[in-house]
Amino acid sequence: MSHPVALDRPGERVVLMGNEAIARGAIEGGITLAASYPGTPSSEIGNTLARVAKKLGFHFEWSANEKVALEVAYGASMVNQRVICPMKHVGVNVALDILNPITLRGVKGGLVVVSTDDPSQHSSRTEQDNRWMGKLNDVPIIEPSSPQEAKDLTKYALGLSEHVKLPVLIRTVTRLSHMRSDVELGEIEDLGRKPEFDWEGFSYRVAGFEKLFRRHKERHEKIDAVEAEFEKVPFNLVKNNGEKKGIIGVGFSFTYVKDALEALDVEDKVAWMKLLTPHPLPQKKVGEFIKGLDTLLVAEEVDPYVELHIKALAKDINPDLKILGRLDGTLPREGELSHELIDEKISDILGLPKKPQERAEIEAEKDELLFDRMLTMCAGCPHRSSLYALKQAVKAVKGDLMNVVVNGDIGCYGLAHAPPMAFEDTYFAMGASIGVSQGMQQMGVDTIAWIGDGTFLHAGIPALQNAVHNGANIKIVVADNAAVAMTGFQTNPQMGVTATGDKVDPIMIEDIAKASGVKHVEVVDPYDLDAAEAAFKRMLEAEGVAMVISRRECAMVAVRKMRPERPPVYAVDPEKCIGCKQCLNNYGCPALMWNEDERKASIDTTLCMGCDSCAQVCPVGAIGRRD
Amino acid sequence: MDTFKIVVAGVGGQGTLLASRLLAEAAIKAGLHVKIGETYGMAQRGGPVMGHIQIGGETNNPQIRKGEADVLIGFEPAEAVRRGVTYLKKDGLALINTRKTAPVEVVSGMMPYPDMNKLFALLGKVTKNIHTFDATGIAEEAGDPITTNIVMLGSITESGLLPYSEETVVNTMKEGLKPQFIEMNMKAFELGKKAYHSL
Repeated sequence: MSHPVALDRPGERVVLMGNEAIARGAIEGGITLAASYPGTPSSEIGNTLARVAKKLGFHFEWSANEKVALEVAYGASMVNQRVICPMKHVGVNVALDILNPITLRGVKGGLVVVSTDDPSQHSSRTEQDNRWMGKLNDVPIIEPSSPQEAKDLTKYALGLSEHVKLPVLIRTVTRLSHMRSDVELGEIEDLGRKPEFDWEGFSYRVAGFEKLFRRHKERHEKIDAVEAEFEKVPFNLVKNNGEKKGIIGVGFSFTYVKDALEALDVEDKVAWMKLLTPHPLPQKKVGEFIKGLDTLLVAEEVDPYVELHIKALAKDINPDLKILGRLDGTLPREGELSHELIDEKISDILGLPKKPQERAEIEAEKDELLFDRMLTMCAGCPHRSSLYALKQAVKAVKGDLMNVVVNGDIGCYGLAHAPPMAFEDTYFAMGASIGVSQGMQQMGVDTIAWIGDGTFLHAGIPALQNAVHNGANIKIVVADNAAVAMTGFQTNPQMGVTATGDKVDPIMIEDIAKASGVKHVEVVDPYDLDAAEAAFKRMLEAEGVAMVISRRECAMVAVRKMRPERPPVYAVDPEKCIGCKQCLNNYGCPALMWNEDERKASIDTTLCMGCDSCAQVCPVGAIGRRD
Repeated sequence: MDTFKIVVAGVGGQGTLLASRLLAEAAIKAGLHVKIGETYGMAQRGGPVMGHIQIGGETNNPQIRKGEADVLIGFEPAEAVRRGVTYLKKDGLALINTRKTAPVEVVSGMMPYPDMNKLFALLGKVTKNIHTFDATGIAEEAGDPITTNIVMLGSITESGLLPYSEETVVNTMKEGLKPQFIEMNMKAFELGKKAYHSL
C-alpha cells in the first residue's frame, strides 16, 4: 500500500497522524528537499518523507545532526527550492547556531523548520518551549491545533517564508504530533523551479559585520510585515458577542477549551479566540478581543508565552483586565493541560459547581495494587549483554563497580540505569558522555563513557578528538546495535544505506576512532559474554583513550528479519534449575519468568529471541536451545 | 451521532497502534470522522501504551475524558485495569487478554505480579461487563503471537458495538495489511470473533 501522503487525489479524506500531516503539507507546498534528524516526537515526519521521497522526486535525508540538517536545507533554499527541516524541540538547540544567521541573511525558497515540543516530557529530558527560540531570532511561529491545520499551515508557512524571506517555525506538541484524524487532502504543487543561486540578491553573500548589523533592522521590518499578515489570516478565529469572560486557546491547547465549552454547555457565556500565531502576536486582533473583557483565561503549553505578551498589551488597552493562566497560578507552571484542568478553570470563572471526584477511592486502590511498569531494554537486547559483560570486567579490574563513574548518553542504551543492570550514573545530551567523562577523569575520577552508535556519529566525534588531543585517559564503550533504534530505525552513516535506500560506503566508527588517534580500539560481539568481558578488561587496562565497540544488531531488527520464521526456542530445564535467580536478578531479560510455586525460572517463548545470553549467565547450565 | 469512544491499553510492542489504526480507517470507510490519541513513552518495547479512539461526533481533542469510554480493549491484564479504572464508563464493555507481560519490577524480583482476581475485582467496581480470554494463546494458534492485536479486533467487532459493519473492518484489514500476512490475520480475526462468545 502506498502511503496516503503521496496520493494525488485532492478532496479525499485519509487518516493521518499530525506528523504525517506535516509531511503531506510540505509535499503539497512543493518541497524539493527535506533534511531531518530523528527524535521523538518528531520522527514520523521524516519517516514519512523518506518513504515517499523517491516516488515523488524530492531529496530526503537523515542528516548527521540537526545543525547539519538545517544547513543542508538552507543551502537548497538559497538556490530557490522549497524545503522543510523537522526536528524535536531539543534538536533546535543543536541547530540554533545556523538558525540565527539564516534569520539575518534571509531565505530564498520557502524554508520551514518544524519543532515538535514535548510538554510533560513524555520522551525528552526537558519540556522546553521553543516559542522562545522563535522570539529570540525573529522567526514567525505557527502552532496548528489539528492534523488538518498541521497540513494546511505547513503548506501556508512555505509560502509565507518565501514571501517575507524569513524561515518559519511550525511548532507542535506531542499530543498533536502523535494524534491521528481524518484529513482532507489538497493539491500537490509542482513548482518545477530551476535551482540557481541568487547572485543579485546578495543577502546571503559574504559581508562585513557592519553590513550584517543593518540586517538586524531589516529583520525587524520583516517580522513587522508578518505581524500585519497575522492580523488578517483566516485561521485565527474569534467568537465574541460582548461576553465579559474570555478565553484564548493557543494552538493545540484550543482543543481543550473548545471541548470544555461544549461539555459544560456554556458556549454562549464565554468569548473565545483560537490563536495559531503566537509570534509575532497579532496585537490589534488580540487587543480588540480583550478590550471589553473583565476576565481572560489564557490556555497554552507550556510556558506563559502568549500570556506574558498579553499582559504587556493589556497595560494600555484594558489595564483592569484580570488575566488568568500560568503566571498567576490559575494553571500549573509546568506540564500539559488536560480536560480536567480546563473544565475546572472554566467552571470556576463562570461560578459553576465543582465536579465531584468520582473514582478517587478506586484509583487509590489501583495505585496500591499496580506496578509502574518501569522501562527496560527489549528481550534479547544486545545492550543488556554488553552491560552484563562490562560489569564483570569492571569488578575484575577496578575491584568494585563504584570505582568508576559511567556517563551514559541518549538512546535505548540510556536505560542502563534501570534495574537490574543499574550501571549508568549520568546522562545529559547527545554526545555529552565523552566530554563529561574527560572532565571528571582529568580531575582524577575514573570514568567510562557509554554511548550508542547513532549518538556517537551525531555529536560524539568532536568530543572524542578533544579527549585524545588533551591527553585524557577515558574509556569509551560504543553500544553499537547498528540501528537508530529508540526513534524507530532510521539510518546513520555507519549503515551503508541512505534514508531512501541507496547503498553507500559505510563510515565505520572504528575507522573514525583510529583516525582520531585512539590507540586501543576493539570490536566485539556482546552475545559472546566471555569475549566481551575480556575485551572490556583490555580496554580498562589500556593507557590513554581506549574504545570497545560492542556490536550486535538490535534484537527487534533481528526478529523482524527472521519473520515469518520464529527465533530458536530456548528453555529452562527444570531438572537442572536450582532456583538461584541469577538469570532474573543479574541479567533480567523480560523474556525470563519466575514460577513462585515451583521455585524455578522459565522462558516466555513469545518474547525470547534466542540470543543465548541467559544460557551463558546460568551457573548450572540449565538454560539451552530446546531442539 | 454521539461519539463512540474506545480505550486501548497494552505494552509497547504488542501491536496496539495497528489495531487502533485499523479501527480508525474502518471508520473513515464508513464515512465517519475519527480521532486517535496515542500515549507512549520513549522505549520501543516494555513501557505502558494507551490509545484513545473517538469515532463520529465533532470533538477536537484526541483524549477521552475520564469515565467516558464505551469500550476498553486490554492487551494485557494489568494495563487493562490501569486504564479501565480511569477511563471506562460505568458498565462499559471490557475485552481483556489474560496473557501477562511481566514488567522489569516483576522479572527482577522487586515485586510480584498483582493477583489476577484482585485486578479484575477492582475493575469490577467500574463494570460488570468484563470478557477475558487468552488472546496471545489464540494468536499463537493462528500462527504468530504478533496477531494478538487482530484477535482483539475480531472480538470487538463481534461485540456488535462498533458503529460500522464487520465487512468494513475486514475490507480495511485486507487493504491495510501486507498480502503475505492476510491469511494468518484472517484466521486470527475469526478466532477472535469466537473468543468473544467463549467467555
